[in-house]
Amino acid sequence: MIPFKIGKIFLDGKSEEDWTTQTVLKALPQMPVERVQDKRSLIKKFLSLPDPIGAGKKNLFITRFYGRRLKPCPGTSDHICCGYHVINAITNCPMDCSYCVLQGYLNNPFLTLYSNWDDLVEEIGSFLAEHPHSFFRLGTGELSDSLALDLIFPISQLLISFFAERENAILELKTKSAEINHLLHLNHRGKTVFSWSLSPTKMIEEEETRTASLEERIHAAQRCQEKGYPIGFHFDPIIFYEEWEKGYQETISSLFRRIDPKGVIWISLGGFRYPPQLKNIVKERFPGTRIFLGELFPGRDGKFRYLREIRVEMYKKMFGWLRNVDPGLFIYLCMESKEVWEEVFGWAPENSHHLNQLFEERVKEFI
Amino acid sequence: MKTIQQISLQQINLSDETFSVNFMPDLQKLQSSIERIGLIQPVLLRRKGDKYQIVCGFRRISIFQELGNKEIESSVFEEKERDEFELFSISLHENLTSRGFNTVEKAIALDKLIHRFQIDPVNVIRSFLPLFSLEPNEKILSTFLSLAGMENEVKRYILEEEVSRSNIRKLSALTSDDRIALLPLISLLKLGENRLREILTLVEEISKRNGMKVRDIVHRPEVQSILSQKELSSSQRTERLRKVLTALRYPRMHEMKERFEKKRKDLNLPSNVFVRHPPFFEGRGLKIEFQFENLEEYRSIVSSLSKLQEKKEFQEIVLGDM
Repeated sequence: MIPFKIGKIFLDGKSEEDWTTQTVLKALPQMPVERVQDKRSLIKKFLSLPDPIGAGKKNLFITRFYGRRLKPCPGTSDHICCGYHVINAITNCPMDCSYCVLQGYLNNPFLTLYSNWDDLVEEIGSFLAEHPHSFFRLGTGELSDSLALDLIFPISQLLISFFAERENAILELKTKSAEINHLLHLNHRGKTVFSWSLSPTKMIEEEETRTASLEERIHAAQRCQEKGYPIGFHFDPIIFYEEWEKGYQETISSLFRRIDPKGVIWISLGGFRYPPQLKNIVKERFPGTRIFLGELFPGRDGKFRYLREIRVEMYKKMFGWLRNVDPGLFIYLCMESKEVWEEVFGWAPENSHHLNQLFEERVKEFI
Repeated sequence: MKTIQQISLQQINLSDETFSVNFMPDLQKLQSSIERIGLIQPVLLRRKGDKYQIVCGFRRISIFQELGNKEIESSVFEEKERDEFELFSISLHENLTSRGFNTVEKAIALDKLIHRFQIDPVNVIRSFLPLFSLEPNEKILSTFLSLAGMENEVKRYILEEEVSRSNIRKLSALTSDDRIALLPLISLLKLGENRLREILTLVEEISKRNGMKVRDIVHRPEVQSILSQKELSSSQRTERLRKVLTALRYPRMHEMKERFEKKRKDLNLPSNVFVRHPPFFEGRGLKIEFQFENLEEYRSIVSSLSKLQEKKEFQEIVLGDM
């Protein structure tokens, strides 16, 4: 049983014979399947619908991807980034968060699974083998929710087993789901970080459609921690609303009532930010959203962020609340300027490379 | 079967607007044409009981009446000859070939198709939006339907100012009372497309953010005082209104600007020296600009700049301590 509804599978003719495709079709035997010969026309047809993004989330497209599928996270110009690598296994997401940047970013609206799985694994394997003396953090949670399609195709199972055998990399599965039963028994060798994106319950209810509740996410994290997985959390986006302090303090309290901070590998903080084109899309799709009501202004990279004074205040408070739980927590800022790092922590990484080194040291403490 | 005959104006039910989509019709041109060469094409009527219903020709009949004519040449449908939707379609097609429709008339026509004649919206999108030279999609239909439901004075404003569809959508998000309250303000300012969008966005966001009704924003003394300052041009008024609304929408930014401005004034710099903060206070890059016309002026500026570093206010500005 998948926790969301897929109305139809659109199957690219070139993917028909791939074992990935056969696995999905076996998992969804009753699902209507439409064979597609011209995927551009299909995408064009969907893009002309009144809500292509909403429609795309309810239809699974299985196709092949011929380009590079392992890429450095693009980060953002003039800001310190963490040197992450993004694995493109699936794109788009059945969950529907109002603030999701993918809404303005993907030119294919479908929830898409790329069927040439073996090519992806080979690409990751070759990349890691070519750089034996470097250490990498890679994740599937940038272009989708990492667990989005696990129940119809075992993406995370396969990747966890693959990374368990690698010495110079760690996988991060980033999610807002609580469907983790199928992953608990795996031999991960500590080489997979399970991380949850967290928000106060009010924000989850108002802005994060079809995601697990805060309580469910924390419970899932607790169960993963009990199975020895390193655990991460992302307070990203932090949304400034009238009672944000109470909301986030309660979230942190609830979290650490169940989670041992010593098993938390990292926590990120990132204020809500968005590229200019996103606002109109979101306001069309979520007319009741309140996320744009903060004081958001364009930054040096063109993205809108909260006024710096507000961001610094939010980060400082979050940092204080988290440090009160455990001063040893590894806390970093996502896509922030050096000035903001300095104001919040009293220091800043020299550059993105330096932050990457700090991550490497942190990972070595865990594995 | 329609027959052409002279029908007495008294027999025509002028108050039956079943097939009318008229809004602010420009009768002047048509009247002078009728006065000069008479009626070119008969009006279309439908017999209904012992009277006639106007299918097509509301403006011509109104002018005939104005000119004191007693009857008008008409083509007449019998009561059961065509159903109402067919007659409405005939009326739309005939008007389209002769005069076309303004934005509000298109909205009224689409509203009648959906609500009066119960035509399936999918059919309206597919068959009627292209007829009105509109893109066939749901969003366009919903924009026009929302316009049809607006108050007449707002419709008039939309027509006169040629308000865009995106701004019509913004107006439609307001309650009727709020639209009516906002109307005198936006009408007076003679706003262009972008400025109108900006003002509507600010007002909408202040309302949501502060839990205020739009009419309460409009009735605030600082907004009303802009309206009452007759000596200001509309662009000066618009600029003042933008400032007032921006301060309400972005209070922390407004406070920072005020604090910066106060410290900048306390520096007592010559009037040709400007200290500027980074855009939106992002980053720490301050900018000093000065202008001079001769060496003496240059020396005086450099001298005052050299003393800046000792001033407490300047140190605070540099440290970002505001």
